[in-house]
Amino acid sequence: MNDLERRYLRLLHAYPADYRRARGAEIVGTYLDLADPGRRWPSPADAADLLRGGLRQRLRAAGVTDLIPGVRLAALLALVTASALAGVWGVAELHPTPTEWGVPHVGPFVSLGVVAWAAWLLTAVVIAVAPIRIARLTIVLALLLTLAPLPMAVALDAPRPPLFVLLPQVVLGLLGLALPDRPSRAVRLAPLLSALLALAATEFLVGSDAMGGYYAPTAARFLPTVGGLLLVVGTLLAMGLALGGDARGGWALVTLLTPAGFLAVPALAGGTGIHGAVTFTQLAASAVAVALAGPAVLLLAILVRARLSPVTKRGGEACPTCGTRA
Amino acid sequence: MDTPLREPTFLILTALAVGPMHGYGLIGEVAALSDNRVSLRPGTLYGALDRLVDAGLVEVDGEEVVDGRLRRYYRLSPGGEATLSAETERLRRNVEAATSRLSARTRAARPITPRTAGGLA
Repeated sequence: MNDLERRYLRLLHAYPADYRRARGAEIVGTYLDLADPGRRWPSPADAADLLRGGLRQRLRAAGVTDLIPGVRLAALLALVTASALAGVWGVAELHPTPTEWGVPHVGPFVSLGVVAWAAWLLTAVVIAVAPIRIARLTIVLALLLTLAPLPMAVALDAPRPPLFVLLPQVVLGLLGLALPDRPSRAVRLAPLLSALLALAATEFLVGSDAMGGYYAPTAARFLPTVGGLLLVVGTLLAMGLALGGDARGGWALVTLLTPAGFLAVPALAGGTGIHGAVTFTQLAASAVAVALAGPAVLLLAILVRARLSPVTKRGGEACPTCGTRA
Repeated sequence: MDTPLREPTFLILTALAVGPMHGYGLIGEVAALSDNRVSLRPGTLYGALDRLVDAGLVEVDGEEVVDGRLRRYYRLSPGGEATLSAETERLRRNVEAATSRLSARTRAARPITPRTAGGLA
């Protein structure tokens, strides 16, 4: 056994043990057949392929095959929401308070956040026109630029958007990376349309003085409302798809609980009232609670579904392809 | 299995239509059939084969050990042959409809020959 084979076998641990025993030699043999002579390490693409295949097989063995399509559906809704928020905050960035108020700003913009919102609007355009591989890279860039204002604000002593605005955007973007590999034209256009609608609506609201900045009283209610809307849309989608026997919507809804929870952090911290100023500690505690509870609910749903699933494959059952018993 | 088939699934069934094939051979055949547009990796291929076996479209034909490596051969089942035929027929009808409409469009778009005012008079 050479180094390459040993390394492929190590990566094969992504698969369930019984499946690995039944199919491991065949899968690794095929990777070795395809490898260039002299190669000593699996390529990053091979490693990702093995990890993806292992995850799929584990979900399949647990009878949760519709989880990944559900997460992909949630990814689309997350990107639509992230694009709309970028439209809203992007317009808000163009309207700093009057200079005589003495509120610090960054040139003609409210804060350093303008870079992040511009990146998300560019991402919506890229998703509409470019291959999904490029779109995912752009999402990663937008994620980095959403986090960039944190150190930049310290280094430049310049204002940045508050964490309760940046954090949900990061969570929505991370989920958006699970966008389908071959989305339809309508799916590709959805984030861009959402961003354009949000831009137009926010410009109108700013014109009629109904939209303030990040710290306006309306902002604390705005994000939880967006989170609530996201869950309402997810619920309607889940019910509609369930009528046709499609469980994707249910998984999408459970997946969306985490980003919706992050959007609701100002409300969960008790900050939506007229005198609803909250401390950083309250916001941080709410964010940590959401970060733990959201994924925990998803994990619980997977475990319950695996237990109830009639097709659960347990150790000792025949391999689906070759009939070999573990 | 849901129809219409996804392209990689269609290409795997098409590759197996000529006879039993192992994973490595299937990857090469799918790449050749798609002019290298569809490049399957083993993790993806074996996941797809599992689903096709579960759906009764593909069967295991046999296995052998070559240079110390296990090779398992897969073949199209009668159900797989019927599904591939139905899908091919569906695609053929779509291609015919599209070809016919594109031809009609080309004919309609031909430039009209300008006439001299007053005709030949």
